Amino acid sequence: MISIKNLLKSYDGHIALNHIDLHVDKGVIFGLLGPNGAGKSTLVSILNGLTAFQEGTIEIFGMDLQKNLKAIRRRSTFIPQSLALYENLSVIENLRFFAGLQNINGPALRDSIEYAISVNQLHPFIEQKAATLSGGQKRRLNIAIGLLNKPEILYFDEPTIGIDPESRGEILSTIRSFKEDNKTVIYTSHYMDEIEKICDEAAILDHGNMVDQGRLETMLQGTKNQSAVIELVFSSRLQLAQLVQTVTDVKVIDDNTLLLEQQDSTKMAKLLTALEEEKLPIKQIRYQSVSLESLFISLTNRKELNV
Amino acid sequence: MFKAMLIKEFILVMRDKHALAALFIMPSIFILIMSMALKDTFGSDRALLQYVLIDQDQTSMSREIARAFEESKILREYEETVADHEQLQRALNNELHFALTIPKGFTAQLAAENPSSLLHLDVASDIRQEALSLFQGELTSILMRLRMETMLKELKPLLGDRGDAPGKDFFSTDTRVQIHFNGMETGQIPTSTQQSVPSWIVFGMFFIIIPMSTVFINERKQNTLMRMHAMNISIPTLFAGKIIPYMIINQIQVCLMVAVGIFIVPLLGAEALTPGNSITGLFLVSMGLSIAAVGTSVLIAVSASTIEQATTIGGLVNILLGAIGGIMVPKFFMPPIMQSLANFSPMSWGLEGFLDIFLRGLGPKDVLLESLALTGFGTALLLLAWLVFDHKIKRGV
Repeated sequence: MISIKNLLKSYDGHIALNHIDLHVDKGVIFGLLGPNGAGKSTLVSILNGLTAFQEGTIEIFGMDLQKNLKAIRRRSTFIPQSLALYENLSVIENLRFFAGLQNINGPALRDSIEYAISVNQLHPFIEQKAATLSGGQKRRLNIAIGLLNKPEILYFDEPTIGIDPESRGEILSTIRSFKEDNKTVIYTSHYMDEIEKICDEAAILDHGNMVDQGRLETMLQGTKNQSAVIELVFSSRLQLAQLVQTVTDVKVIDDNTLLLEQQDSTKMAKLLTALEEEKLPIKQIRYQSVSLESLFISLTNRKELNV
Repeated sequence: MFKAMLIKEFILVMRDKHALAALFIMPSIFILIMSMALKDTFGSDRALLQYVLIDQDQTSMSREIARAFEESKILREYEETVADHEQLQRALNNELHFALTIPKGFTAQLAAENPSSLLHLDVASDIRQEALSLFQGELTSILMRLRMETMLKELKPLLGDRGDAPGKDFFSTDTRVQIHFNGMETGQIPTSTQQSVPSWIVFGMFFIIIPMSTVFINERKQNTLMRMHAMNISIPTLFAGKIIPYMIINQIQVCLMVAVGIFIVPLLGAEALTPGNSITGLFLVSMGLSIAAVGTSVLIAVSASTIEQATTIGGLVNILLGAIGGIMVPKFFMPPIMQSLANFSPMSWGLEGFLDIFLRGLGPKDVLLESLALTGFGTALLLLAWLVFDHKIKRGV
């Protein structure tokens, strides 16, 4: 469905995308992960024909992007990070305006608007001005506008920035639901938990380079060990700071939480003994697979994603 | 605490380039332009008003009047030939301000109390009252001096050094000059409403720079324009979608301002506006002005990075074009170099077009040049805006 070969994009002497290869199949929810400035938004912009590139080829729906841009755009949609809508128009006026731009008229207009509204649960707000909607509702309207042409490919550029956890959850499940309709989604984010939650496949970009890509489970299985989170009933940061010096691979998360990386039974036994000696009762121990975050850190040697 | 607040406020203002431009650069430029425009207006060494003198009397006295005119420091003889009535009308529609005809037999009756032969003064209809008064004052002074000399010559043998002081009417030009404003009926005079409304219509139309660029920049910053672009909307379509509504808004502005001049101004005790005889001519000029104003707005909108920048630049451009273009100061008050500069301001073209319709009673043919110039100017700016916007889109700015 999307095939990128040897893509190079540079401007003002800076390489934004360094000979990227990427393949995304139909019906896949694909995550593009990377810190700010990694090249995610540039890649999405290129895929939508909004930014030119210097080298490489891009095929979408089996068509060359540069030669068939208009036809490709008619079958895809771009949902920008910012709220690309009109605050002084109502929900329905916004939808009618953007449908009009795409020459969607008559019965098709009614169908498209109904589809966009129902997917995003905007029925109760259709007559409301966009300015009066909550942050989450505005985000859903932003997505609804992108659904008017019933696209086969949806490009989302960090759609959950600045919204509350509840709305974020709703938006993520909406995006996940596109899989049922066999739609392809390209989802950029620097929130790794979001990528883990909704994506089938992912690519990690760093400074314009593709550092890893593939099915998410495969990528995570690459690192064998698990980590464990130990929550304590009570403790102090000072006690924990002294304790981590005695056991390797232990990190202090907060005053009551420790993280044991690459845990094994020897390390765990040693930590439990140390906790007992310090008379620190354990509330619970959670074992977790290696997260995308730890994979990202190991691949890019960064301490944090938002660098 | 208060000191900290003061320091913070100064730092913020000093770091705000647009505030600095609005506070310091704009007034400085404005002062420079206005000073240049008004330079020598009240000085005595600059000829402000252009005239032609048509001497049908051909006496030594009429030649004396011509010589006195030549010596006047505020009058300047019109350089082009004015051979017939048609040429005179054309000249009055352009740069000539006054045409004074000395009829046959005028100087013979110079000393008479109720002369039958009157001076005939043709006045360009866009001449403001201040300029007319200035000319009348100069004319009065010349006539008074010559009349005094004539009378003294006649009376000297009889009165010697004695004689009554002349009465008020003796000096007045009112009883000796018949004034006719070009393009108007005899006895009809242009009102301040007639002269000022066109200026404010032009000025008001260019104010669409502010709302138009604000909306445009908001759309750009919110990526709404990028979204439209991703929906296969081309730049010309995008521009057309903005230009047409704002041109309609401009036409509504013109209708509203003309209506205010016709219906509201008289309620406040001033003369009503008379809209001239050519709706087509009025439409041509206002459409040309609209294209020029919209072109300026779109260029500013695509070039500016922020709304603050656009409103500062927009306000500055509007005031400067107005100051240069004769909106705030009539062009004939300006020095020659500023008058030449005024010819580059689209506001000046628009103003001339409106004056042709409102004051000079002219029609579509006469405003075609101004309308085409305005349309060309606006189109050129729109094309430039297209190039700038296309470049920005390709760079992903």
